[in-house]
Amino acid sequence: MAKLLLRRTRTLLILIPIIILVIIFWQARPLRSDNFVFYLPNASHVVPVQAIGHANYVPLLQVLNIVGKVQGLTAARDSLKVWVEDNQIEVRQDDKKVRIMKKNIKLSDPVRVDNGQWMVPLNFIEAVLPKIIREPVVYRLGSRRAFIGDVRPSSFSFRLDPIPNGSRLTLQFTNKVNIRTASRNGKWVIYLGEKPVQPLEQKFNFQDAYLANIQFDDQDGMPKLILTPSSDGLNFYPKLDDSGRTLMADMVKPAAAVAQQLPPVQAPPTPGAAVPPSIAPGAAAPAAPAGPALPVVVLDAGHGAEDSGARGENGVLEKDIVAQLVARVRNALLATNKYRIVLTRVGDVNPSLDQRAATANGARPEVFITFHAGNLGIRAPRIVVYTYQPPSSPTPSADDRSPGIFIPWATAQLSQLARSQQFAQALQEKFASLSGVTVSPPAVAPMRVLRSVNAPAVAVELGSLTTDVDSSPLTNPNFQEEISNAIVQALDDFKGRQT
Amino acid sequence: MTRRAGVIALAILLAVLAAGFVYLHLLTRRAKLEAPQHGEEVARTQLREAALQSPTGPTQNITLYFPSDDEGLLVPETRQITWATNDTDRIHQVLLALIDGSYQGLRRPLPPSTELRAAFLSSDGTAYLDFSSSALALFTPGIQSETLAVYSIVNSLAANIPSVKKVRILVQGQEVETLNGHADLGEDYAPDPTRNKPGS
Repeated sequence: MAKLLLRRTRTLLILIPIIILVIIFWQARPLRSDNFVFYLPNASHVVPVQAIGHANYVPLLQVLNIVGKVQGLTAARDSLKVWVEDNQIEVRQDDKKVRIMKKNIKLSDPVRVDNGQWMVPLNFIEAVLPKIIREPVVYRLGSRRAFIGDVRPSSFSFRLDPIPNGSRLTLQFTNKVNIRTASRNGKWVIYLGEKPVQPLEQKFNFQDAYLANIQFDDQDGMPKLILTPSSDGLNFYPKLDDSGRTLMADMVKPAAAVAQQLPPVQAPPTPGAAVPPSIAPGAAAPAAPAGPALPVVVLDAGHGAEDSGARGENGVLEKDIVAQLVARVRNALLATNKYRIVLTRVGDVNPSLDQRAATANGARPEVFITFHAGNLGIRAPRIVVYTYQPPSSPTPSADDRSPGIFIPWATAQLSQLARSQQFAQALQEKFASLSGVTVSPPAVAPMRVLRSVNAPAVAVELGSLTTDVDSSPLTNPNFQEEISNAIVQALDDFKGRQT
Repeated sequence: MTRRAGVIALAILLAVLAAGFVYLHLLTRRAKLEAPQHGEEVARTQLREAALQSPTGPTQNITLYFPSDDEGLLVPETRQITWATNDTDRIHQVLLALIDGSYQGLRRPLPPSTELRAAFLSSDGTAYLDFSSSALALFTPGIQSETLAVYSIVNSLAANIPSVKKVRILVQGQEVETLNGHADLGEDYAPDPTRNKPGS
């Protein structure tokens, strides 16, 4: 009896360390971690992001060491002075103010000291870094990456197309990439090389029977896409074309699985796997794959960052009004579950007009809408919808409309003018039905941002935003909601007319 | 009693100081408000002087097109001026008249402090106008306001100087992307008569 007990104890003693080791190393490398990535021209650095209270913080000295040369520091009990390049930075514990060469900059949250480390809120990257280093700092609010110096991140657009027994994911990159694929925890990971990548969208919205989710992640300094298939047992065939810019990945059911599915018995998705909305539980197996990816609408909020645009009587800025409006239009369109939305700017940044057009063209949108507010006279609120008018020939000739195989960047919009005008007409009709708003007939304007958009494109201008007219109606949430709903209806009408 | 007098004296001193601060604040505010008016006055004087310096020639009625923000159109206004003899000087004259402003209270297409650094007319009829960058910074931004401003210049020049077929706007001698974020300045502008108010 005692011998048996001893043998069991010995077995347990061997098993317990094995179980502990398995628990430790199981999923030892999580696919996502909470970090901030700094991309420099020849390197990338990762710093941990830590939540303190309601805000996210990064360690101050680590960040300063990455972006500039720290020449010295003096630490007191509740304050820290650091010399970076030719600037002196002073921070105080629990104080929002950062003092740079005798000037104060206010952060969104107070500076904290955690485990002896000075921590600054993420807002430090956008508010302070550009003032202390010579290189340009590009940081999209809400993202966890910043580009310091002459770093040109590549970007990509994606689309999903149905193929027999599967879906084809096509990724179009702006620069050449080297890819490597791996499978981890039932997910497919596409590593996109060492060079920085800035995705156009923070979140990818789509409906597909084979792919449940796409997630971009570079939290460990390695840009990659994580694909979650909607069920187990799908085959994945990624292939990069010769140019190194187009990746096609087919996700298909194995032939055996397809044969088994006739008559219709669908293998149930593995527990925990996300079920796409297109497959209702208990529904018949999709004999034909689900429809194509949702059509894209690109929304462009004019201006941003140091370019505030027009200014209203109470200091209201055009860049803020249009950003608010774009957020409402985006929500209204997403609520229909009929569109995927791409924004040309997220947060208070100012991409160039060509970058905005590039974002639009990369997304192959159904329509492009740019929002502005300016001087439209004394009848406020007023809305004018514009389409593009080329400056050199106010009425484009037939030659301009036939672009041939290649579409010239500078005149891409010319081939789309007729459809742009149809969309402007649909918008004007819906805006005209709003009460208390003066709506002008669709107009034309030599709008620079519309020039290179290769899709039906319009500019919506709200007015008047000047210092001598009451601009309060423009910031009214109800007014903005009404405009958003009118845009949703106009888009439905426009699509109806197309088909 | 002495203590009470001291308190009263302190109160009066504080009141005088407060009044002094308020007065100083009002003065600086007034100075700030008056500054542009002063600048405008100087600009107007300079413009008139420049116009007077033009060589004596025939008197001519010219048509200027001023933006009407309410209507989204250009409204014509006639002026009698002493017309210069060559086209480049005439371009200067038309622009100076536009900068001088409308007599009907319509918006100026260009801010009063605008400086036209140079104007050229090429053999193919393209007028190159080189404005100072300070003019650009003061521009009323907006799709309609910028479009009307550009066509105010282009239509006014083309209507009065037949050899002007197109207009190219430069800033500080350089090509710029837009006027103030909206209107494309990367191309030549041809006159667009549809922008002019019909029937006037």
